[in-house]
Order: sequence, then C-alpha cells, then structure tokens
Amino acid sequence: MRVRGMEQELTEFAEFYESTREDCLRIVLLNVGDLHLAQDLVAEAYTRAWVSWRKVRALEVPRAWVVRIALNTHVSWWRRRRREVALGDHDTAMPADQVTVVSGDLLAALRRLPARQREVVTLRLLLDMDTETTARVLGIAPGTVGAHLHQAVAKLRAAIPSHHGQEISK
Amino acid sequence: MNDSDTVDVVRDSLTTAKDSLAGVHVNTPLDAIVRNGRARRRRHRLTGLTGAMAITAGMALAVTALASSGHPASQSGHAASHPVTARLAAWTVAKQANGDIKITIRELSDPSGLQSTLRADGVPANVSSSTQLDPSCQPYPMTQALFTSIYQMGVGSGNTVLVIHPSALPGGAGVQIGASVDGRAGDGSPHQVAGNQTVHQPVHQVGARADNGVLRVGLVYASQQCTGS
Repeated sequence: MRVRGMEQELTEFAEFYESTREDCLRIVLLNVGDLHLAQDLVAEAYTRAWVSWRKVRALEVPRAWVVRIALNTHVSWWRRRRREVALGDHDTAMPADQVTVVSGDLLAALRRLPARQREVVTLRLLLDMDTETTARVLGIAPGTVGAHLHQAVAKLRAAIPSHHGQEISK
Repeated sequence: MNDSDTVDVVRDSLTTAKDSLAGVHVNTPLDAIVRNGRARRRRHRLTGLTGAMAITAGMALAVTALASSGHPASQSGHAASHPVTARLAAWTVAKQANGDIKITIRELSDPSGLQSTLRADGVPANVSSSTQLDPSCQPYPMTQALFTSIYQMGVGSGNTVLVIHPSALPGGAGVQIGASVDGRAGDGSPHQVAGNQTVHQPVHQVGARADNGVLRVGLVYASQQCTGS
C-alpha cells in the first residue's frame, strides 16, 4: 500500500517536473542571467520540491514555490560568495560556445530590483499570477503587491526605450 | 500611458525575452532529481535518528558522570565533587551505516592523521593544514549541485561537522580538505592555468571553526600522489 502511494507520488512529481521545468528554468535564467547557474538553481529547487513533495503539491501554485526557492538559493549563494571564495563551474572560465548569457537593459534592470519587487514581478508578470494569489504566496497584502509592482514596473519601463531592448547572446 | 498600460508593456517585453529562450532546456534528468532527493530524505531521517541517539547517549553519560564524580546529587551527604577532566579529540571520523562519512572537527591539528583515517575508510582524500591546494593535486571540476550532493556541513557545540557522501563522488575524483587556523579565507585568485582557460581552485569554505579558522573542502582528481589511490 505504502509502495503504491510512493509510486503515485513519483508519478505526480514526474508530471509536474516535465510540465513546468522549462518555464521555471527560463524565468530563473532571466533573473540570474547565467545558464549554468540557472540550471544548478533549478535542479536544486526541484530536488527540494521532491524532498517536500507532499507539502509542495498541496500549494496553490507549486511552480511558484520552485521559482522562489531557486531565486532564494541564488541570494544565499551570493551572500555566501561575498564572504568566501565559493568556487565551482560558475566561477570557472568556460569556452564561449558553452556559455549562454542573457543580457539587455530590461533584464539588467530586473536584476537590480530589490528582492521583493523582483519576486512580485516574477510572480505577477512572468508566472502570470493574479494579485490576490501573489499576495497569498508571498504572505503580504494585495495592496503591498500593487505597490511593489508599481515601483518595479516604473524602473523596468525606463529600461525599455524601444521594444528592441533585449539581446540574447550565445 | 496609465499604470495598466505600463504593466502591459513591461509584461510583453519580459514575455518576449522569455520566449526568446525557447532553445534553452533543462539538462538535469528526472532520475537525478529523484535520486538526490531520496538521498537527502535518508540523510534527514538519519540526522534525526542520530540526534535522538546522541541525546540518549548524552543522558546516559551524564548519569554515569554524576555517579562516578561524587556529585552531590548522586551522593547525598558527601562534599564537593572531584573534578573530571577529559581531553577532547581534535577530530573524529565515524562511518555511518549507509556508507556516509561523518567528520567532527574541533581542531584540525593532525591533518595527516585525518587523511589516513579517511583513506582507511575507503575515501580518496587529501587533507592539509592550508586552504591552498596541495601542489601534487589537480582540481576536479565542481558544480554547486555536485558539491551539495557530496558534502553536507553543520555546526554542533562549536565544532564543524562535515558529512561526506562517498557514493556521490564522481569516478576518478577525491575529496580535498584544507584548513587555515588564522581565519583567512584566501584571496580567491586563480590558482592554475589550463590551456587558455583560467581555472580556479574548486574549493568551498564550509564554515569557520571554533578557533576562528577556516575550513574548506573541494574535489581533486584522485591519484596515488594526491589522494593515495
């Protein structure tokens, strides 16, 4: 009986992983700008999702949890890196054809946003969640979501002089 | 342009940027995620079990110490207790039932002894009293995911606890542990040059020890000279 339950959990998680991973990776990549780092962050976030799958699957928007974990892990990673020399592939010079860097004024502005504003933009505009759901996921009032979005969008709009602001270099 | 229009412009721009990444794909197979997650669940369960056992053992030791030290609580009517002194080990290595190696480091005063112990437990290891890479070793490419699958660090009672999962070591790789007692983490400058690539020493600082030292762990290519195998 227990084995069957675990198999069902694995099937559910596999479906979740297959259906959400690409979108989550692209959203994280827009936020961090480095493909290798984004791959690691997303893998770590899904691993944690699987470890806590019973809790995560019950959430209103499980993929928002994955994206938030990935971005929070990135913040932790950077904090740690400021104090120490944490070195891995992210710090290793890679051949140019293996590096995908997502750049552009808009995305640079996105990465400069305060963490909470960036979270709101990510959930509201990239994950297309409504204000109420975003508020519940972040544990803040809907009005606060609106205020963060307003401030963030003003900064991002200033980084879009035209609609040709992004550049994907590979 | 009102607020709603501005939001739409930004949303469209971000969506366009995201859509332009259609050629980017996740490279981690589901099996790897599930395998790592299961290993982590097992470690969590083991940690809980170990903690419970440690509490039980601690209580038993406390009772024994009270009985043997002439503590007033255990020998009512007697005078003050005799002092009990014990020399704590600088480090201890415990091989877990699942093959994991748990190292508790209070003071890294005998790196060669730790190295021998780890090698005797089947872990290709290079341990030094410096955070700089041993010249006889070559750094093994590391990723954050690989790092977290091999190493787990914690702090308990002022000691650094490092758990190594040897089963997660890639073939041909060995562990590298270095310690600096002066608390300096190093300058982070590139240490080696391979071809046209500058390659940093693949080490991670895992925590300041009780004596304000810095402990770092990383991966190296296993070799007789570097890791003993």
